[in-house]
Amino acid sequence: MSFTKKPGGKALDILQNLPRITLANLRPEPGTKKAEKKRGRGQYGGNRSGRGHKGERQRGNRPRLGFEGGQTPFYLAIPKYGYNEGHSRRAQYQPLTLNRLQYLIDLGRIDPTQPIDLTQLVNGRGVTIQPQKRDYGVQLVGEGDGIFAAKVNIEVQMASEEAIAAIERNGGIVTTGFYDPRSLAVLCKPVPFFISGQPIPKRMLPGEDMVPYYTDAANRGYLADPEKIKKARIALAQKYGYILPDISKDELFHMLSMRKDPRQIFFGLSPGWVVNMAEKKILKPTDDKLLQYYNS
Amino acid sequence: MFRISVTVCGRGIFKRLASSFSGENALPSNLRIPSNLVDRARAKRPPPPADSSLPVLRRCDAAVPLHLSPVQTWVETLERRDSKQLGLVDLHPDVFAVPTRIDILHEVELWQRNFKRISRAHTKVRSEVSGGGKKPWRQKGSGKARHGSIRSPIWRGGGVSHGPRGPTSFYYMLPMKVRVQGLKIALSSKLAQDYLHVVDTLNIPTPDPQYLMDLIRYRHWGESVLIVDAGEELPENILQATESLKTVNVIPAIGLNVHSMLKHEVLVLTLEAVKFLEKKLLWHDERFTPLYPFKLPYTDLP
Repeated sequence: MSFTKKPGGKALDILQNLPRITLANLRPEPGTKKAEKKRGRGQYGGNRSGRGHKGERQRGNRPRLGFEGGQTPFYLAIPKYGYNEGHSRRAQYQPLTLNRLQYLIDLGRIDPTQPIDLTQLVNGRGVTIQPQKRDYGVQLVGEGDGIFAAKVNIEVQMASEEAIAAIERNGGIVTTGFYDPRSLAVLCKPVPFFISGQPIPKRMLPGEDMVPYYTDAANRGYLADPEKIKKARIALAQKYGYILPDISKDELFHMLSMRKDPRQIFFGLSPGWVVNMAEKKILKPTDDKLLQYYNS
Repeated sequence: MFRISVTVCGRGIFKRLASSFSGENALPSNLRIPSNLVDRARAKRPPPPADSSLPVLRRCDAAVPLHLSPVQTWVETLERRDSKQLGLVDLHPDVFAVPTRIDILHEVELWQRNFKRISRAHTKVRSEVSGGGKKPWRQKGSGKARHGSIRSPIWRGGGVSHGPRGPTSFYYMLPMKVRVQGLKIALSSKLAQDYLHVVDTLNIPTPDPQYLMDLIRYRHWGESVLIVDAGEELPENILQATESLKTVNVIPAIGLNVHSMLKHEVLVLTLEAVKFLEKKLLWHDERFTPLYPFKLPYTDLP
């Protein structure tokens, strides 16, 4: 801007001529504080105190909520059906649109030259995950696949076909991986976990219902066969009509091919290790039984 | 001819003021202070002119937004009673020149009063008052009114129906950014109304309280002074001098709060205190939302 605004504007100029702001001068903005209704006091609040005239209303003897005078009430007349049965136990996946991902990369909150993980997304404040509320991770949604133009190695928990196509069209890699709730909590907030001093847990494998999803190459599951994934990439390119770029000739090929072990939560850290943030040290287990457990 | 332009954002008190302004730019009658309470010698000094010859002792550490410019004020010293100004200091406009919001100051002041409040008033209900299990007299035939217990709320000495119940806490937290904005507004209004003074250090020659009172009287600062330094270690002399004084107080910069700033007429900051406050108060403008408490280490927060 060529002109500079006076900081504070005219308000500070007017303030110079007004009396000093003291504890006696403070007041809330007019209209924000509405006076409380005082029942049983004064000409208007007194008399029947807002209870009406005689009957059950004034005497406080009205029937229970939902009672319709004896007629079968609405909440009993309608037959039950399990629309919401077990709704609080269903897995939820926070959506992440390609629009949002592109926005975060453009603003520099997410670094596309490193593998993008749920930890990176949470650190860049791109998504908000609540592991305690049955969130099982993030799902990639295809909204914005027309404008998406970033080459990324991204790992999510679910991905739609259009989103996978959009990322692979730009030369990136998508993987879907499963995190059980405890691993998800560790992944989303690593610093409080490290401070607690517990060893990094090993990631559990998906439950019976999600195994078909994560072993399917069409979903780029982390348990799927790599050969089948290559074929699926070619098939998807043919379906959506784009040329699949050759990643092996890319300069970032090493970064793009980084994948996590099915039991690993963090890149570069194995299960069983203890991270000491205060002294910047990593402690690894030496006992045989522990090693056997964590390497299984 | 004097035309006053009312800004669109000048709601509330300012609009009412502007409408009651006559041609001579006089205050409305309820805001005029009686003449025996006004210190005539305390003339409003205008802000330092742009072409002043004094050296600028401190520039703003943080980047000033391009559309704003830093506000300036003089730096004085407490060494001698009648010394001249040492130089100028640049103050960041996003801390010392924010638009005034009296309602935010009001909210923060109420919060400061109430969040620590625990009301220990407790009355006994009819079941807690000693006695009153037996029916005082038979239901019918005694000619008296019917009663079930001598401790019902109708009775003298009976329980209280809807009284205060036990220790009640009035704790609540205003959002962090509202409290930060309250501090910024208080600092800005002190600067705008000429009640802010910047001092290089708090070294005074004697631990005599009278020296401070003379200095304040000579320089026409005001009735009560709040002196703020950055660190915890304050010079011995000023601690001794202010110990016995009621209206002059010294606090470290982390103890700065809206209530103290409004209670004392004048605020005196050292250069280190200005630096500390700017750093702490400007950080909130650029930080990310917290994932876990700020006390735990963050690698990526600015």
